[in-house]
Amino acid sequence: MASFDLVTPTTEEAAIAELRTGAPGEVAVLAGGTDLMFDLDGAKAAPRRVVSLRRLPWRTADWNGPVLTVGSTLSLRSLERDPEIAKKHPGFFQAIRAVGSVQLRHRATLGGNLGRAAPASDLIPILLALDAEVDLVGPSGSRSLPVDRFVLGARRTALASGELIRSVRFPEPRASTYLWQRVRPANDISQIAVASAYSPSDGRWRLAVGGIPPRALRLPEAEAILRSADPPDAEIRDAADRAARHLVIATDRRASEEYRRHLVGTLLDRAVRSTVAASKGGR
Amino acid sequence: MSSPALALTVNGRPRPLENVPASERLLDTVRWRLGLKGTKEGCRSGDCGACTVLVDGVSTLSCLTLTHEVGGSTISTIEGMADDPIGRAVQEAFERAGALQCGYCTPGFVVALVGLLRERGRAAPVEELLADLGGNLCRCTGYLSIARAVSLLQKEAP
Repeated sequence: MASFDLVTPTTEEAAIAELRTGAPGEVAVLAGGTDLMFDLDGAKAAPRRVVSLRRLPWRTADWNGPVLTVGSTLSLRSLERDPEIAKKHPGFFQAIRAVGSVQLRHRATLGGNLGRAAPASDLIPILLALDAEVDLVGPSGSRSLPVDRFVLGARRTALASGELIRSVRFPEPRASTYLWQRVRPANDISQIAVASAYSPSDGRWRLAVGGIPPRALRLPEAEAILRSADPPDAEIRDAADRAARHLVIATDRRASEEYRRHLVGTLLDRAVRSTVAASKGGR
Repeated sequence: MSSPALALTVNGRPRPLENVPASERLLDTVRWRLGLKGTKEGCRSGDCGACTVLVDGVSTLSCLTLTHEVGGSTISTIEGMADDPIGRAVQEAFERAGALQCGYCTPGFVVALVGLLRERGRAAPVEELLADLGGNLCRCTGYLSIARAVSLLQKEAP
């Protein structure tokens, strides 16, 4: 591994200042490190300075009425073990369980998963379906962006130079589901993953798909077909078929285009039905 | 390059360390600096679980963890498992079930399972424990006997 300096600032201000100590690419941000480690090891231009976020007071999960705010450096395993999150955001719980393994989730973080923006991230689709917002801090203050505008492409985000992800906000509890298909349940990359959620406040569905590079997508056309909390079978099938037909999908070494289309239709159909069942069970 | 001193408590013993480079992985510290070769290097990319150790009681992939990131922590490796009642019970269950073939994955499985039992309690359902061991690979594919060890353990759970 190339050598680097490791710094562990204890305040937000100090962390932001550390990011300015080198040219972009020379300074890397370390949260759980489960993905960054590959950059530190690889032949790619290795950072000269690594800023660890572990001493920042961001390992929190707080409810303020219906709004859940998750600190960016809290471990995924802590979120998974929080019974209130599993109950109020079941799809988020299922998506977290899809990331790596227990050992990996003990260190991996929500902020890291978002900031690294892997094309097959198992968290971005459900964050889209839950209308999650990303809270950023940087040299010129704080700002928030919906996940849809934060994740721009494969490994590309709207993070500006010197900015950090402080937290992720979930506006309201929603009946939700996350489903995936892959070769191995743990430590594998989803060939296709889908997220569905129904918002009780605006009465609309959110559907999203992941596993198709360059990034996870909302499916507004399919969403518009579902017109109630408990849509009839024909609507569910129609929404799933439409998404499967119209998405731009390519063949790669993980799965063929044909198989992926089949998965999108099948998993969306199941996800919506499971979300409906969950919302009935929750009443 | 900055490499401040750091202290780990490893299997109950304080182990002060000096001149550990910032880029050193916990796996390499444990195996080469501390000489505890029971922790195995499999994939070195977080996919196989062979390098699992407990950091403050929590199962961790030592191959994806920088040593300086866990400075001040308590580390338990396979060598320390016999000092702990849960660790002993897991090792005995593996032995009785014959839950190893070549043995390379065994330390990772044992430490991961001890971590799960500490987290979830001895009464956690077998199916859930097995699902949560999904991050550990056995290249001999000896999973049935490993599953038998977990069942044995749960039958004897106090």
